Amino acid sequence: MVDYPVHSHDLVIIGGGLTGLRAAIESSKADFDVAVVSKVHPLRSHSVAAQGGINAALANAVGGEDDSWERHAFDTVKGSDYLADQDAVEIMCKEAPRAVIELEHMGTVFSRMKDGRIAQRPFGGAGFPRTCYAADRTGHNLLHTLFEQANSRDITIYPEYYVTSLVKDGGRCVGCTALNIADGTLHGFAAKAVLQATGGYGHLFARSTNALINTGDGAALAYRAGVLLEDMEFVQFHPTTLYGTNILITEGARGEGGYLYNNKHERFMKNYAPKAMELAPRDIVARAIQTEIDERRGFEGEYVHLDLTHLGADKINQRLPGIRLISMDFAGIDPIAEPISVQPGQHYSMGGIAVNTKGETELTGLYAAGECSCVSVHGANRLGGNSLLETVVFGKLVGGEIAQKLPSISKPSTEPLKEACRKESERIDKLLLREEGERVSNIREELRKMMFDHFGVFRDEKTMKEGLEKLHMLQKRFSNAYIDNKDLVFNYTLIYTLELEGMLLIAEALALGAIERRESRGSHFRTDYPKRDDEKFLVHTMAYYRDGKTELEYAPVTLGIFPVKERVY
Amino acid sequence: MKMKVFRYDKETQKPRYDVFEIEPTPGMTVLGALFYIRNNLDDTLSFRYSCRGAVCGICAVQINNVPRLACRTQINSLLEGTAEINLRNYPVEVKEKWDPREEVLVEPLPYFPIIKDLIVDKTRFFEFYNATKPVFKPADEPPKRERLMDPETVKELENYTNCILCAACVSSCPVNLKNPEYIGPAALAKLYRFHIDPREPRDDSRVLLMNNKTGWWGCEFHGNCRRVCPKGVPPIIAIGKARSRIDKIGKVPPEFSKK
Ligand SMILES: Cc1cc2nc3c(=O)[nH]c(=O)nc-3n(C[C@H](O)[C@H](O)[C@H](O)COP(=O)(O)OP(=O)(O)OC[C@H]3O[C@@H](n4cnc5c(N)ncnc54)[C@H](O)[C@@H]3O)c2cc1C
Ligand code: SF4
Ligand code: FES
Repeated sequence: MVDYPVHSHDLVIIGGGLTGLRAAIESSKADFDVAVVSKVHPLRSHSVAAQGGINAALANAVGGEDDSWERHAFDTVKGSDYLADQDAVEIMCKEAPRAVIELEHMGTVFSRMKDGRIAQRPFGGAGFPRTCYAADRTGHNLLHTLFEQANSRDITIYPEYYVTSLVKDGGRCVGCTALNIADGTLHGFAAKAVLQATGGYGHLFARSTNALINTGDGAALAYRAGVLLEDMEFVQFHPTTLYGTNILITEGARGEGGYLYNNKHERFMKNYAPKAMELAPRDIVARAIQTEIDERRGFEGEYVHLDLTHLGADKINQRLPGIRLISMDFAGIDPIAEPISVQPGQHYSMGGIAVNTKGETELTGLYAAGECSCVSVHGANRLGGNSLLETVVFGKLVGGEIAQKLPSISKPSTEPLKEACRKESERIDKLLLREEGERVSNIREELRKMMFDHFGVFRDEKTMKEGLEKLHMLQKRFSNAYIDNKDLVFNYTLIYTLELEGMLLIAEALALGAIERRESRGSHFRTDYPKRDDEKFLVHTMAYYRDGKTELEYAPVTLGIFPVKERVY
Repeated sequence: MKMKVFRYDKETQKPRYDVFEIEPTPGMTVLGALFYIRNNLDDTLSFRYSCRGAVCGICAVQINNVPRLACRTQINSLLEGTAEINLRNYPVEVKEKWDPREEVLVEPLPYFPIIKDLIVDKTRFFEFYNATKPVFKPADEPPKRERLMDPETVKELENYTNCILCAACVSSCPVNLKNPEYIGPAALAKLYRFHIDPREPRDDSRVLLMNNKTGWWGCEFHGNCRRVCPKGVPPIIAIGKARSRIDKIGKVPPEFSKK
């Protein structure tokens, strides 16, 4: 019988993005033995792609001198369409200035104002500049800084290990199993506590701005272990993503004066938001573009034009160099000469693993933070610049919280981990041994397309129920999926398959949540219920996985100093 | 068009080239084509990927004998010859012939040990990175608020903080390819980034850390690092400036002194 290696640590953190690294730094301060397990080298995590910035009421910028955590919190709660939990929002916004200053003290090179203080720019949902940034590479700069810090401490990093399951013993989480991608061996990780910092589920949708590795593994791992998923139906769609690869074209392109045109060369925003035009809130612009495409006023039935040509070469080169490069590198379009082809795309996962403000899940010993979790600071709609903030604030807070508890937790036995490795090995062998059936990539691509078509920008009962049926078919087809690649070394086709299995599972929680939420709130827009319904739906959707089935329950929203009002801009 | 892709696995240990016929869609990148192959033609092909937007640095491979990001290189621009990078004194010989007008040759990054197909072992790259002790060390106790920085200094720093650690430069550098001890352009650019950070002590300890042949003095100024860098980082300039600084403080080791 194979003897599976088991690595024992005080704390195992799954995920090496901003959340995971910040938590690792915090918890390692007290000499605990901390490990980070990540399916890519930490520096390749999705966090690296964040462009615009991180919100904090530093009150540095002109126009924002009297900014305060309360104003930040109000904007966040209003932006969330009142579904955010106000206690969590309060923690995040109060901590924000300290968190940003701390990142600066760790070495991040933020963009500066003339007087040398950290510069801030305006972002959607706030009336003045509050977003601190490092050019249009904020995520890159923050992730490299936190990696440098983690790398210089005594933290064990397991890069390119794919976590396949959480392991429980006597009702507590005692670790996880992971596949070493480099050689295909299964490893057990025994821990007094496990923190999930596994990021979002963007690639559940065709057309996503997210890294290709954002497949919601973390949500699936927790869900299978019996942990609740919260508000999974809330998915943010960004109005302008590049046609073809769906790379993000920042709001700044419209901020600098870009126009949106349909195939009749009309600035169609005049029909949706005559005053704000192209600069209306994200969800409104996304719905407008999707309507144009659906009503055949798009190009090739797929996209509209974002025209910057009238801005001229100088302005484009000065203010939007990144966007020009992206257009040229990824679509072969030079925006100085021709319009950019754009379409709405999935951008952010508001829902996730249900946690309280200490990052605790239902399962003792299991914690979650960052985009994979739902604490909930974003409610039904996240404000740009708040998710980077969430990663560092809650990464630190939860890392500290766990560190406090560690001394009183005894070391788990390694037996359950070996047993779990055996089981996982069987599951994987079953997949690898199948010699014929349907190609995994077909199922995965169909799932993603189905999710975008049936649970996308616009939703209604009939379309969603059809989608759910298709989902069930896809789940059935998965039991017949096969791959040719039987190699144990760097078998990314196998990883792709394991990801898909989880995607098919959490898609169900998302679908049911969306069908049952008979109202429109934030990113969840129902053409058959276009109004928000606070009487019935000012609640969090909680999905359970019991006996192979998804069941829904509802939990109250934590209200606070901001009374629930209509969300008008 | 045809993709000629290098294949290797530990079991057979026999390197070979597979040819795949592909109809490129507008804007299709080399990474997109690799995915097309894996999803439709041969799912045993192994390559690394993450952001697909030229920010995470994971996907560098050798394309038409030049190290570049697979996700940022368009098939059409290669066939049309509009995306050429001309390397100087590049010692890596072409192992497989290809017709650049209708074929794209994709191979693993040279310099690093090959593990599987296009995947190489980058341990050594991170050893070089670590050799420069890449972590911010402030000169003084942290103040209450942020430390002030001049926007012009920030601009200069950004030239180097922009590095995504893709390792294309190391694979393009003739010195790296002949001197296994040389830590290479990316690590030196990182070290220089800390040297010019005004929040660090002004004691030149950063430049003096690599005051030898494995560091600044190993460079022969071929300039390939700057040519292949997908982020416009100029390691060669950092190296030149670091040497001048060392010269100015009179610390040039005798074997590298011009006098
Ligand atoms: C294009 C783009 C631009 C953005 N810009 C901004 C912005 O300007 N401001 C802002 O506030 N937010 C922005 N966001 C959102 C923000 O970047 C993310 O919400 C945030 O970075 C998430 O960080 P994280 O640490 O929680 O997760 P991630 O950075 O996604 O990290 C997840 C980690 O989990 C690991 N992992 C996942 N599954 C497994 C598994 N099965 N086994 C092992 N490891 C696993 C991964 O390897 C990775 O290390 C942007 C998002 C996108 C898509
Ligand atoms: S300097 Fe450029 S080529 Fe070298 S590792 Fe950094 S980004 Fe890549
Ligand atoms: S996939 Fe991230 S740089 Fe190419």
